[in-house]
Amino acid sequence: MTRPILQCGFVVSLLLVLAAGTSQAGDAQSDQFVQRIVKLIGDHDKEFRAAGLEQVRTAARGPAFTQLFAAQLTKLDAGGQIALLAALADRGDRAARSAVLELLGSSHDEDVRAAAVASLGPLGTPEDLPLLIKSLSAGSKAEQAAARRSLIEIRGDGIDKALAANLLSESSTAKGALLEVLATRRASDQSPVFLAAILDENARVRRAAMAALGQIGRPEQIAPMLAGVLKARKGYERDAAEKNLALVCERIENADQRGAALIEALNTVDQSQRDQLLSLLGRVGGKKLVDFVAAIATGNDGARRQLGIDALSKWPDASVAETLFEIATHASDPAERSQAFRGYVKVAAARDGRSDKERLDRLKQAMKLAKSPEEITLVINRVRTAYDVDSVRFVLPYVDQPDSAQIACETIVEIAHHREVRDPNKAEVDKALDKVIATSKDPVVVERANRYKRGETWQRPGRGSGR
Amino acid sequence: MLADAFEALKTFNWGTNLNVLSPIEDAVIATHGDAAASQELENRLIAALKGDLSRDAHGYVCRKLTVIGTAAAVPTLAGQLGSKDHSHMARYALERINAPEAGAALLEALGATSGSQKIGVITSLGSRRDAAAVVPLARLLRTDDPTVARAAAVALGNIGTAESAAALQMALPASNGDKQYVIDALLACAEALLASGKPAESTAIYQSLSGEQQPRLVRLAATRGLLACGRKQS
Repeated sequence: MTRPILQCGFVVSLLLVLAAGTSQAGDAQSDQFVQRIVKLIGDHDKEFRAAGLEQVRTAARGPAFTQLFAAQLTKLDAGGQIALLAALADRGDRAARSAVLELLGSSHDEDVRAAAVASLGPLGTPEDLPLLIKSLSAGSKAEQAAARRSLIEIRGDGIDKALAANLLSESSTAKGALLEVLATRRASDQSPVFLAAILDENARVRRAAMAALGQIGRPEQIAPMLAGVLKARKGYERDAAEKNLALVCERIENADQRGAALIEALNTVDQSQRDQLLSLLGRVGGKKLVDFVAAIATGNDGARRQLGIDALSKWPDASVAETLFEIATHASDPAERSQAFRGYVKVAAARDGRSDKERLDRLKQAMKLAKSPEEITLVINRVRTAYDVDSVRFVLPYVDQPDSAQIACETIVEIAHHREVRDPNKAEVDKALDKVIATSKDPVVVERANRYKRGETWQRPGRGSGR
Repeated sequence: MLADAFEALKTFNWGTNLNVLSPIEDAVIATHGDAAASQELENRLIAALKGDLSRDAHGYVCRKLTVIGTAAAVPTLAGQLGSKDHSHMARYALERINAPEAGAALLEALGATSGSQKIGVITSLGSRRDAAAVVPLARLLRTDDPTVARAAAVALGNIGTAESAAALQMALPASNGDKQYVIDALLACAEALLASGKPAESTAIYQSLSGEQQPRLVRLAATRGLLACGRKQS
């Protein structure tokens, strides 16, 4: 009984297969496939729609099908339009562009407009630049962000040049955004535009231009970038400008050549301006620059000496420690001595690849120079950068001194925080922590000391985890 | 050495140091490509199977037979299909032995086993994707035991041919409330047919499951299947 029924079913299936075998049927199936996708695009069930959109992304290639899919845009609700725009963008066929522009011209829905603008990244042409640039400063925040992404993504000849040309006529907001776009596009051939913008009267434009040069600037732009550093307002903008120039300097791999290039650039500005740029040298570092700044920091001109000491204090490593130590030891001017002392303590504590012991030795030297309770406090505070049981031993006597007891307690728990210090020296560190518990008035310090004694860790407030 | 290993096999269990059996492992590798040596080793394994082995030792031997087993091992393994303790590993070997006799033995066991041993045999026939099993399995779709019917449907789905699909479609009643497993098996068939380059057969199955009367998830699966078929055909 079963066998004849099975055979009947099999025959039906076979007939279907044979029917599909002809080329005419093949064309019909192709049409049917595309029509099925079109129908699914308009489905109100999101999962059915997603099944259709997945095909829009990857199947039925060719401009005719692309246009057919894009033509559905006007028939959909806002959610459907957004989803289809994303699928068309992923499909990447510019045949959909005119339908996207048409929708952009007629839709007032912010999310739809943002999705349409976003799709112009992969689908747009250079002709769409004015529209995208306009969207950078007009429309909703989402549309502005989409325009920025599209301007970064859009392909075509002369895009970078056209964007650079547009910079001149744009508002400051759009100008800043365009500079960021050009930097992300790695448009290094548009450097004249960046170099002009670092002198703009608007701080946002200047910041964007310096940031762009920081990302894509070349060593030959070091000298012209100095003008941007000088133009930057002291404080956040100046700091950022110096860091960006330092980034460009770092592209010269050899430290001596890097120093020489910066000194050569500095020689192109007059001396008063050069002095303002000394702190920049500290950010770049290198032996050549150490010598250059050390000569100023130990020279005859008092005002320039201060600038030099300031620059040395900002050095990224301890290579200037000896110079600062000498100044702090021998300076006759108390302000200058104090400035050099603070700079010395700062660079001595820098975690720059030296061992903990080397760091501690430098700080022990600093303690010998310390003249006031504030300076002693400063040194004890920085000892926490040397993760070594010797640091605990060095700081422990200061727990007994009223002026330095609290900072010494804090420093000891900070060092004890590191298991690699406390575990191999448990008995000794526990004894120091007992002293901290008995002395400190800070409940957090006492709690930490107790936790470390119990072998527990401690989580810094606002951080994911403690060590 | 090998004799010692076979001796050790008699008292082997999974707590024993496996090193005592390494001569058997080495022999399996060494006999590769040497039909006579391989046959000799297989005979020793079959002989061991016939002895009084622990469950662990039996499982070990069956595992080795999945590598070197031939039609020669089938009768012994088939004899264990009704055993509560040994049928599982015997099927494990029979599923993998590349000889039609293994499939035939499983088919024969279909009528001779019951309960979970029968379910196991059905499952093994599905795993072997044995076309000869379609008709007997189709018969089981109509059995009163729902567990057996479900196992048969899953096995037919795994076989994944136009014939197994036709059998499943026949079993699909007009109201398919409690026959979700038949639909699942049909979807598995459709997927297998598409993967084996038969989009037209696959389309016919998906088409039959995409009607409005089907549950939403079935329609969604069928729609995705139709799109995959359409893509292959366009």
